[in-house]
Amino acid sequence: MTEGPPPITDTEHAIAADGLGVRYTLRFSRKKSIQRTLGQWLARDPVEQFWALRDVTFRLVHGESLAVIGPNGAGKSTLLQVLAGIIRPSEGSVDVRGHVSGLLTLGAGFDVELTGRENILLAGAFLGLDDAVTRELSPGIVEYADLGQFIDAPLKTYSSGMRARLGFAIATSVDPDILLLDEVLATGDSTFRAKSKARVLELVRDSKAVVLVTHDMAWVKEYCNRALLLEHGRVVIEGTPDEVVETHRQHTEEEKKRKAAEAKAAGLAPEIAAARR
Amino acid sequence: MSVTSEAPAAFRNAAARPGPLALIAEAWRDVASRRRLVRYLVQAEIKRRGANTFLGNLWWVLDPLLLMLVYVVLVAIIARRPIDDYPLFIFAAILPWKWFTSAVTDATSSIVSQHRLIKQIAFPKVVLPVAAVTAGVVGFGFGMVPLAGIMVLYLDRLSPLILLVPVIAMVQYVFTIGIALLVAAGNVFVRDLGNVMRHVLRLWFYLSPGLYSLSMLDEVSLFRENPVLIALASANPFAILFEAYRSVIYGTLDAGPVMPDWAALGALLAVSLVFVAVATVVFKRLEPTFAKVL
Repeated sequence: MTEGPPPITDTEHAIAADGLGVRYTLRFSRKKSIQRTLGQWLARDPVEQFWALRDVTFRLVHGESLAVIGPNGAGKSTLLQVLAGIIRPSEGSVDVRGHVSGLLTLGAGFDVELTGRENILLAGAFLGLDDAVTRELSPGIVEYADLGQFIDAPLKTYSSGMRARLGFAIATSVDPDILLLDEVLATGDSTFRAKSKARVLELVRDSKAVVLVTHDMAWVKEYCNRALLLEHGRVVIEGTPDEVVETHRQHTEEEKKRKAAEAKAAGLAPEIAAARR
Repeated sequence: MSVTSEAPAAFRNAAARPGPLALIAEAWRDVASRRRLVRYLVQAEIKRRGANTFLGNLWWVLDPLLLMLVYVVLVAIIARRPIDDYPLFIFAAILPWKWFTSAVTDATSSIVSQHRLIKQIAFPKVVLPVAAVTAGVVGFGFGMVPLAGIMVLYLDRLSPLILLVPVIAMVQYVFTIGIALLVAAGNVFVRDLGNVMRHVLRLWFYLSPGLYSLSMLDEVSLFRENPVLIALASANPFAILFEAYRSVIYGTLDAGPVMPDWAALGALLAVSLVFVAVATVVFKRLEPTFAKVL
């Protein structure tokens, strides 16, 4: 790289984020047609931009488990995407040491014409696993997904629950150095959900570092030793799970009160006015 | 996972932009390290094409034959002077053209159709259009079966020069990769590209000497009076490719197969390599934004 940020000095870290920022340019946002794009360009509309993340700096050393919490749209998932190498930062830098694995929304990238077994190989190739490793993991995945004869049938014959089971089995079969978890999985039947929660906990225990995005505060307090609160793309507070969860709770309540007050001002007033008439 | 893996064990992403040569080297490594992914994607594509139809993989053979029939009928009605052994004459163009259109069409949607995956794991997106073009090679290979069938009817035109087809196909492969990279990346930002390409491809075919030969352009007064147009028509990559395929499969209008125009093919290869390099840089520049835009 030509002009990198200042070198990171500590040697222990698994993840180092320095002044991380991710900017979205809305000119090419969702599914626009030539007509709209050209129209905007000709009209010389100023390019709309927004920062999904800004000035995010933190270190995560091996052995730590970090919870990222915050309201919807705070940039939590964007942060995970940057840590997974899916999105490149628009400013600042991120340094990740070790194999990263995220638990995919189950079944993305599956091919419906291929059998379960063939999809395991395809998914392994997408994940960048060595072929020998995938073949070695395959029996375990087949056993865990528990699909019986269906493992050799094309995926189009699967129910959505079966597909989710296969996806989960593949996603959790690799044991990464750094585990990224977005919102704990609520798929499949209740038996499988219990089974999957146990497996996720196992992974959390075995990984050298974990970043967990969740709305479940019990999880944060129970399984994480650090937490980080994101609001509007910025880090509000970083510290022990207890204090961060407490700040989050306060902020959420303030927000609720503010919303209630707004609703009162806007919605309730006419009612009262009507009643008095 | 820690020991053997094709994915990098560590990465450092910053806002810096690498130069063009670094991008080309990176793209090359992407494809080289993910050869197996390309192979699986190609296998899946072939399975998909054969899976949902009654005749399945037989369509690989039937498709070009039926297309040839359509053109033979069409040209028999409108052409004034028949061309000898016309079925073989156009078959030499239909096979490579079918590969090109299916490759470009599949490449156009290759990135967009994997949008869910792209937002969830980091993998080199270059493999998707490359797999689309490579899957077309298999169809082209299957096309040799009906070609052999037709060849039996025109044994006097059979010569060992037909073995040069893979060499010409290689030049076509390089050229197609360049187009595929551009349309795959472009379609992420402008979804109308699929519709546009359908018509561009159709026009391109009629502007290329597939149903006719370049030498026949002299008979058209518009071309006879404007040598510039003839020069332009000859510079069309598919003019060079069609004429080359035809010279080794069919030959000339009044004689058997001859050597292709090596100078033209060599020039096309050189231009295509430069084109692929430019397309790769464009693709790699746009790649980091795919996950944001999709």
